[in-house]
Amino acid sequence: MNARDAILQRIRDGLSAEAPVELPPVPAVWPRTNPSPEQRVERFRRELEAVQGELIRCGSMDEARSKLADLAQQAKWSVIGAADRPMCRELLAGYPSDRTSWAKQGWDPKQIAELSVGLVAAESLLADTGTCLVANDTAEERLLCYLPATCVVVGRADQMAEHLPDAWEDVARHTAEPDRRGEFVLITGPSRTADIEKILILGVHGPKRLVVVLVG
Amino acid sequence: MSSHDLHLEGAPFLKEQNAGLYEPAGSKSLGEATERSSKQNRAIAAEIPSWQDWRESARQIKQFAIANLDKLLVQFEERISARGATVLWAENAEQANRLVLDIAREHHVKTVVKGKSMVSEEMELNHTFEAAGIRAVETDLGEYIVQLAHQRPTHIVTPALHLSAEDVGKIFAERLGEPFSADHQHLTNVARRHLREEYLKADMGMSGVNFAVADTGTLVVVENEGNGGLSTSTPPIHVALMGIEKVLPSIYYLPVFLNLLGRSGTGQKLTTYTHLIHGATPGKKLYVIILDNGRTNVLADPATHAALHCIRCGACLNACPVYRRVGGWAYGWVYPGPIGSIVTPGLVGLKSAGKLPFASSLCGACQEVCPIKIDIPHQLVHLRHRAVNEPSPMNSLSERLTWKAWAWAMSGSKRYRLAMAAVRLGVRMAKFLPWHPGKLGAWTRGRELPRVPGPAFRKSWSRHRSQLDSHDRSDRT
Repeated sequence: MNARDAILQRIRDGLSAEAPVELPPVPAVWPRTNPSPEQRVERFRRELEAVQGELIRCGSMDEARSKLADLAQQAKWSVIGAADRPMCRELLAGYPSDRTSWAKQGWDPKQIAELSVGLVAAESLLADTGTCLVANDTAEERLLCYLPATCVVVGRADQMAEHLPDAWEDVARHTAEPDRRGEFVLITGPSRTADIEKILILGVHGPKRLVVVLVG
Repeated sequence: MSSHDLHLEGAPFLKEQNAGLYEPAGSKSLGEATERSSKQNRAIAAEIPSWQDWRESARQIKQFAIANLDKLLVQFEERISARGATVLWAENAEQANRLVLDIAREHHVKTVVKGKSMVSEEMELNHTFEAAGIRAVETDLGEYIVQLAHQRPTHIVTPALHLSAEDVGKIFAERLGEPFSADHQHLTNVARRHLREEYLKADMGMSGVNFAVADTGTLVVVENEGNGGLSTSTPPIHVALMGIEKVLPSIYYLPVFLNLLGRSGTGQKLTTYTHLIHGATPGKKLYVIILDNGRTNVLADPATHAALHCIRCGACLNACPVYRRVGGWAYGWVYPGPIGSIVTPGLVGLKSAGKLPFASSLCGACQEVCPIKIDIPHQLVHLRHRAVNEPSPMNSLSERLTWKAWAWAMSGSKRYRLAMAAVRLGVRMAKFLPWHPGKLGAWTRGRELPRVPGPAFRKSWSRHRSQLDSHDRSDRT
């Protein structure tokens, strides 16, 4: 008998005396209170700032472009690496193309690590926790979230869900798609650790800075 | 039964002679840090009105998952294989180590970066890599520190909880040749600089698994540092290690567990990164190794099934007055604290770990904080019962004789008095002995012998009673 069958057999032996357990209902977790869009954004800002993230709110994509340019100047960014998504394309439309790099198959991680910024687009945003939900289809897109010193997530205000259970229907549906590869990642603030004496330090392996550009 | 080496440095609960709890419990920060975490846990639970409902839901879901474990594992295997992953099974640590080495050899792997995985600790995988000439680097900051120090983790969530910033500074100076510093930010930057290089040159990345979702074939990895994301996406190969009990029936059950885990583990609403990995990414390889390593022994005793519900949040460690005092090494194996005292006997057998269920005051704090509502105290009592009836160190000839003698002495007033007189005499005499044998020696190495109090209670009681009686009589007259 191979290891797989042996383990499954031992499990069945162990469970044979068990009374069947009914499939429990999906718990509600959080009640939906359906806050207004404005309340959601304010909640999102509060929670994101509580986990040391930064929110840049823009009325339009034009405003977002100019604020990104200001930010780039302040922080002396050079090359921004970005996932090839419509929202990232729109945001970087005004950014110098010689300082823009798009995620491609086989991109050397060493080059990704050299980027000033990794830019990705949000699938949805969670107001209750200040979380960005990002779909990374490839390893290169995943690395954009973790290797550069700054991670920028661009999202639209109408993507703002109340909380995790509110956004979950979409997540569950996408996760179940058989062709889906890569990962969904919930990002709540920049990388952190408290492994030395439980003192919080930001930017241990991943980005030291997380900026969310919210349009609309 | 697998033959685990349980004789670690400073493992008093499992060692025969050195049963002394005075052994190094780590830095004083352990007690403070665990107490702070525990307070935080209580505050969070009080702040959420539906906390108790979440716990009950989580318990029911885990109960269902374990009751249908065989079907769910097969479903998980099928779904994640359809997404390009290779699923491998291992009955014990030895088989799992061999599988990992085979993968490494097939792909000519020279260096490995590892995200945190308790299963890899069970397997002692780092020794296997070392013996095979493969360089394996732990990337979780706490694990990295204990690996550099050639130590074992003392906590399942914060592995280097026993070390102060100064200790870490010394370790970095000694092992990495860095100038000494005890500044947290500086130390973190040093680790970042060194580990970046490791990610970028590694041939293989490894991770644990927090949840394996059966209906979608999704691996869920929960972390804060970003090392989980980097270990699983930088190298061309990702090998994920999971125990058979990690499976959840449906993706719809995940939010309640994510809410419970972040809050119970580190006091966060959600951890910084929650990765839902759906199979291999284009151009990369994904292997999932499903490990039994004694978990089916736990299934053989229906009364202990709930030990497999654990999601490794560490809340019971922080809440436990025994763990706080003695630290993680005292438990001798991978899983310390109250949960270790019920998981370890299941995984390695009562014969080697039969003492662990006794390392508890049964105060119930662990059950109160457990996000899955595992009834740890009753499990401990059940395992104690088994430990004194089955082959275990608690069922040795000397244990049996001792308890027989105790039962005899306690079951008659004359015998009791005689025994107590002997104890008083013994304690008084012991002071004059030049050395103390056996367990007494282990005990007195770190402690003063108790002072024998004045007259026995019975004597003073009979004297006081005669006085009371005479008072009573004078009152009445």
